[in-house]
Formats: sequence, structure tokens, C-alpha cells
Amino acid sequence: MKLDSKKYDRILGIAPSSRGFGYALLEKEKLANWGSSSASKDKNTKCVMRVEELILHFEPEVMVLEDTGAEGSRRHQRIQELSQRLLALGVSHEIPVAWFSREQVMQFFFRNGKGTKQDVAQHIGEQFPEDLEMMVPPKRRTWMNEDYRMDIFDAVALAFMFREAVHGQDQSPKRIGA
Amino acid sequence: MASPQLPNYLLSNRKRLALSQGDVAFLVGHKSASKVCRHERFSRDPGFETALAFEVIFQTQIRELFAGLYQEIENEVAARARILATRPEQKKPNWRTSHRRQTLASIGALGSKDTLS
Repeated sequence: MKLDSKKYDRILGIAPSSRGFGYALLEKEKLANWGSSSASKDKNTKCVMRVEELILHFEPEVMVLEDTGAEGSRRHQRIQELSQRLLALGVSHEIPVAWFSREQVMQFFFRNGKGTKQDVAQHIGEQFPEDLEMMVPPKRRTWMNEDYRMDIFDAVALAFMFREAVHGQDQSPKRIGA
Repeated sequence: MASPQLPNYLLSNRKRLALSQGDVAFLVGHKSASKVCRHERFSRDPGFETALAFEVIFQTQIRELFAGLYQEIENEVAARARILATRPEQKKPNWRTSHRRQTLASIGALGSKDTLS
């Protein structure tokens, strides 16, 4: 489907994680909001409620999610269910929902399609230096849990990728690597 | 349908500067952070002095901080200017009436043209 670039000036990226989810609201060239939300116990229900609050508050024109059901995806069953519920939420609010698999995201950001979330986070930090450069998490060591801020960068990456794809700038992307 | 711009961008500016709502409330002169929260959630518009304080804190012009609100007001003022421009002149045409007509035309050309018309 060819998407109309003028129609989607306000893009909400949502990146579910084991803690809750990260979100990013991209408005034209700027980040209008970003953050992460953690939930305990009935995580999916709480996450859906909070995403609905974001939708009602910011009135995004499109929501971008990770395609957790894509072939090769290793996301947890709960995350896959959450993605389906978020899709239903978008439909109920008449908001188009776009999906990108992790593989697509990596192919977008890296010439050879291979890279780490840390590299993506650093690239995003460079794209939005005033907002996010200070927030790029330190490189994760084997004994460390994933930094909560990584959820935000995942969400920004999805929204950013959608914007670049829709605006047709993916013909000459600033990709990482040789 | 979503409006072209959010009513204000206080939240993103505050996050950019790594300030808490309590910090901003203190800088603005509010006793608690709840008013800042209400401004950020678009449930309450700040007064003029508070808006100026936000400009000082975030080093961003009020029209950019409150872009959606500014746009709304701009459209309304432009629509009124177009109405005023259509009213017949009370005085004989002279340099002042001509200048006034040009002023109203330039104000009327601002914003989108679907308000009050």
C-alpha cells in the first residue's frame, strides 16, 4: 500500500518489552514526546490502557508496532498477544497501524542488515541529539539487564523508520556500516 | 481528525531539559506540580505570566511552546480581520484608511481560512 506522506504527520511508535512498553511521538521532524511505562501483574491490560491514554491525549495519525508474529520472531507469547491487542486498539480508534519486523528494522538501519539494538540507539541519539543523545544507554555487558531506556529507542526507531519510509527518503538512507 | 499541532509542547521541552514537574513548578512560582501537570495534559491553559516564565525556562518562544493554541488564535484573529475588512469605511478614503485596509488584508491572510467565515 502506498501511504500518503502528508496524512501521517503525527506518528506514535510503541515498543512492548518485558517491563511494559516504550513510546515515541514523532511530529513531522521533531519528537513531541517519548518515554517508557512499566507495568506489573496484568501487564497487557495495563499496557493497553496506557497506550489508549496516549492515543486519546496525542491523537496520533498512525501507530507503528513491531511485527512480533513475523517469521523468525522470538518475542514472548505475552508480547505477541499484547501486539494483537494494540492492533485491535488502533482499529477501534480508527488509527492505521503499521508493522515492521525486527529484521526489517535492522535492514533499514544497517547496510548488511546486521547490527545491535545498541547501534540503533546510538544512531537514533545522533538523529535527535537535543532530545535523546544524553539518554543513550551504556553498552550492555553480559551480566547486565537491558536498560529501561532501550524501550524508548526501540519505539523511536519504529516511528523514525515509518516516517522515512513514507516520506520516500529510504532511497538514500543514512545507514550504518560499509 | 487530529489537529495539525499539539496545543503545547511543554512536556517535550521539559523532558529535553531533564527537569521534573516539581522543578518547573518551583521555577514558575507554583506551590505544587499539579498545575504544571494540567498544562502539560492540555486541561488548563496557563496565564500570561506563567507562559512568559515557560519561555524563560525553556528558552523557546511562546508561539512555539504553545503552537497549537497559537495556531487556533491566529485563525480566529485572521477570520475577524476578514470580517472587519468587509465592513464599509466610516471615513473618507485617505492614507490612513488605505493603510488600515492593507493591515487587515495582511492579518486576514494569516492562518487557515475556515474559521468564523
